[in-house]
Amino acid sequence: MAGRIIAVVALTAFLCGISFATFSELRIFLPAMLRGAVVTLQVSILSAVLFIVMSFLAGIAKDSGTRLVRWLAIGYIEVFRGTSLLVQLFWLYFVLPEFGIVLSPMMAGVLGVGLNFGAYGAEIVRGAMLAVPRGQQEASVALNLSDRACLIRIVIPQAVVVMIPGMTNLTIELIKATALVSAVTLVDITYASVQQNQLHYRTLEIFTITVMLYYCFAQFIRFGGSALEDRFSRHLRRGH
Amino acid sequence: MKGPKIRFEKVLKAYGELKVLEDLDFHVDENEVVAIIGPSGSGKTTVLRVLMTLEGIQGGTIFVGDEPLNVMRKGDRLVPANRAHVRRIRSKIGMVFQSFNLFPHMTALENCIEAPVQTKGLSKSEATAESLELLAMVGLTDKRDHYPSQLSGGQQQRVAIARALAMRPEILLFDEPTSALDPEMVGEVLNVIRDLARSGHYTILLVTHQMGFAREVSDRVCFFDGGVMVEEGAPDDIFGNPQNDRLRHFLSKILEAT
Ligand SMILES: Nc1ncnc2c1ncn2[C@@H]1O[C@H](COP(=O)(O)OP(=O)(O)OP(=O)(O)O)[C@@H](O)[C@H]1O
Ligand SMILES: [Mg+2]
Repeated sequence: MAGRIIAVVALTAFLCGISFATFSELRIFLPAMLRGAVVTLQVSILSAVLFIVMSFLAGIAKDSGTRLVRWLAIGYIEVFRGTSLLVQLFWLYFVLPEFGIVLSPMMAGVLGVGLNFGAYGAEIVRGAMLAVPRGQQEASVALNLSDRACLIRIVIPQAVVVMIPGMTNLTIELIKATALVSAVTLVDITYASVQQNQLHYRTLEIFTITVMLYYCFAQFIRFGGSALEDRFSRHLRRGH
Repeated sequence: MKGPKIRFEKVLKAYGELKVLEDLDFHVDENEVVAIIGPSGSGKTTVLRVLMTLEGIQGGTIFVGDEPLNVMRKGDRLVPANRAHVRRIRSKIGMVFQSFNLFPHMTALENCIEAPVQTKGLSKSEATAESLELLAMVGLTDKRDHYPSQLSGGQQQRVAIARALAMRPEILLFDEPTSALDPEMVGEVLNVIRDLARSGHYTILLVTHQMGFAREVSDRVCFFDGGVMVEEGAPDDIFGNPQNDRLRHFLSKILEAT
């Protein structure tokens, strides 16, 4: 895994070097693209946080003992999975103001992406929790642990191991999906590339850089995911 | 005079149409050791599970000491027990499962201190001191920092016993504690249970297929069949002079098998 990261960094550096050497006009469009990359990074990080929070909230709520809570979770999941992210973004940015709720483009983008992916993540969280053997909850009851302590101390730590691969994949999907936030007037890396290409016709350089940036983000997430998986499954390995 | 420690009064447990326990009357005295035997599906595990509140009951009343478990007094009426009531009574009962059910992400010691710290308000160091004594008692001092995956079945079950004891229960429930173990590990677990039975500090309900052990440690043996208690008595009477046909049939089949 570390080897892969080094390979990616080396490749990036190499291609950047080539680019600098070969394409003299890089500095004309690179600043605009980097500004786009920062926007993509901002939207990604903020919406990933919201995505994880919503995945846990809705995933746990869907099996709640309280009917109202269960229904709220099901409603949220159905609405956000049953309609497209693009339409959700339009709603948040262009329709909500009709009801007096005005969101900044960044807020609308983060909310849209985070809520949309949270609906998918909820099923992964829920599936992982159901995969924890029933005996664990029975032992918790026998030890008189509260429902809350059972959830937080017993079930979730064991479920996390199971959910990491699925959540890692969704996070990578999420980064790629942030390209849609241009619909609410944000200039992210993809939109910046399109703009710069229209201005300078440097198609090869511009989209090569864009692709590499997305790939680096994705590798970073993958690396983080397997580090977490390692951390949470230490106890499952024999020996140490 | 003091009443029994555990009392079932006309308890009905049903899964849909299937009545698993029917009008069960049954009691265990304080610090008595009672073995429950019977064929598969006779409701032995169910007796322990309804007592541990892992399952609700559909009729009758269960008493722990002189307090009802599934209902509570409100003024002069009985209403279904609320969570606080159930948890208060439940704190007197500990259970050891056939499949251990240790928490796999915690070490032996962490398994033991988890519940006392969370529910009894013990500090971590108090709980640790107490749990280390219990781990020493079950002979696992050197395994305190091992995860369950690094322990043998017999060792895991002994940790599970220490974990149950760490809650300072008055009543201990064992559901076939050695059934999931390789034969060579059965002895080490039975030794621990024997010590607990002989200590006279615990009211013990033991479901087991080990007839020799049941005869040795128990004060009384109850034979269940088809959700009812068919016969009960002193171990020597049950095994030496069984009265009921179904019990005789059951014992002869067990003898054949061994
Ligand atoms: N969750 C359930 N749903 C439906 N039926 C159940 C359930 N749990 C147990 N039963 C039934 O209840 C009856 C009694 O089960 P129980 O586990 O108490 O038997 P047992 O005496 O412990 O048997 P064994 O010696 O095999 O452990 C069985 O007929 C079983 O099929
Ligand atoms: Mg059983």
